[in-house]
Amino acid sequence: MKKTIQRRLFTGVLVLMTTMLSGPAYAVNYQALVDVDVRKFQNYFHKEFPQVKLEDFSSGVYALDEDARKQWMEIEEFPPYELDIEAGKALFNKPFANGKSLASCFPNGGAVRGLYPYFDEKRGQVITLEMAINECRVANGEKPFPGKKGDLARVSAYIAFISRGQKIDVKVRSAAAYKAYMKGKEFFYAKRGQLNMSCSGCHMEYAGRRLRAETMSPALGHTTHFPVFRSKWGDLGTLHRRYAGCNENIGSKPFDEQSEEYRNLEYFQTIMSNGLKFNGPAARK
Amino acid sequence: MKKVLLLLSMVVLMPSCAGLLADQATTPSLIDQAEAARKEADALGYEWRDTAKLIKSAKEALEKGLQAESDKLASQALLQSRVAAAQGKYMSKNWKMMILKY
Ligand code: HEC
Repeated sequence: MKKTIQRRLFTGVLVLMTTMLSGPAYAVNYQALVDVDVRKFQNYFHKEFPQVKLEDFSSGVYALDEDARKQWMEIEEFPPYELDIEAGKALFNKPFANGKSLASCFPNGGAVRGLYPYFDEKRGQVITLEMAINECRVANGEKPFPGKKGDLARVSAYIAFISRGQKIDVKVRSAAAYKAYMKGKEFFYAKRGQLNMSCSGCHMEYAGRRLRAETMSPALGHTTHFPVFRSKWGDLGTLHRRYAGCNENIGSKPFDEQSEEYRNLEYFQTIMSNGLKFNGPAARK
Repeated sequence: MKKVLLLLSMVVLMPSCAGLLADQATTPSLIDQAEAARKEADALGYEWRDTAKLIKSAKEALEKGLQAESDKLASQALLQSRVAAAQGKYMSKNWKMMILKY
């Protein structure tokens, strides 16, 4: 009897101590948890493709196939997105009705690709570059750019272009940020759609293998180079346009561009590419 | 004894008879059932690509008086939604099992 009471007391104290520890006084190091994931994730690809250097994963599928890579390098010499960058630059500097412009919202002359995506602690959500572009417009009394292509992709392409070489280093600093990260992680690994497939199924397990006419790109480096000019689209599209396409291909209803689901997914995917460099925009098949 | 049994069986059967009758009066159409199930799958974030299109086609068939065709499409949509919702519930519990061992 006495022993049981002692044991109960002991457990009680333990429980109390853990709740105290997990309270605000004790800060969980979320970044450390995430860094473990990043290491495991990147190691997977190093083991699968030992000949590919870390920074080369930003070339997507072209990192895996020498012939395709040569063709792609030729395309990139006279890139199909060149005019879009010019148009994006003009839009970036074009005055709004109130005299300000997109340029007034972004520091560093607009070379800010490396700052996105990030978790906004005050607003409690992930902010992407495309979201920030449209929020700047709305804050200045303009209409947001529609959709996942066109002018929104053009401005994004211009910003990516003048930010080339910036390092990916996305942080997870709080419980709320970690939650968003975990939601993105869940989206990446959960199987969905009529084909019951996951992102990781195609872009990890099957990376480098062919599906019909296409070789599947490794998920490492997936977000470095957007927006992309796809020959299949015949124009420029954002990362979320690509996400929607991959969701549709497996018979799953796509989410809206800039939906919370896709922003969390972008957050997770970009973190997995921490240490690589932004190199957008890019040409893809 | 027999009387007791009869009484008992009546007590047991009554509610289900009543249920049946009520069901018949208020059973939603296949299209409504499919739409409700689709919404449930959507709320879980797991709606499939073609389900809403199937429901739309079922409605159009019904307007043309093609009851059998409409029922066929609606039950396809209903089945899709139920599997999608089950998929969603399963995945939100077990997605960590899908992470590759590496
Ligand atoms: C059925 C297999 C399949 C699934 C599942 C799939 N994709 Fe894809 N994905 C492809 C193919 C094929 C391409 C085009 C070739 C390639 O990988 O670049 C592609 C391309 C991409 C690209 C562009 C790569 C680049 O270099 O520009 C991204 C990003 C992407 N997928 C992300 C995802 C995400 C995130 C998911 C999960 C929501 C997903 N994919 C699910 C097959 C798939």
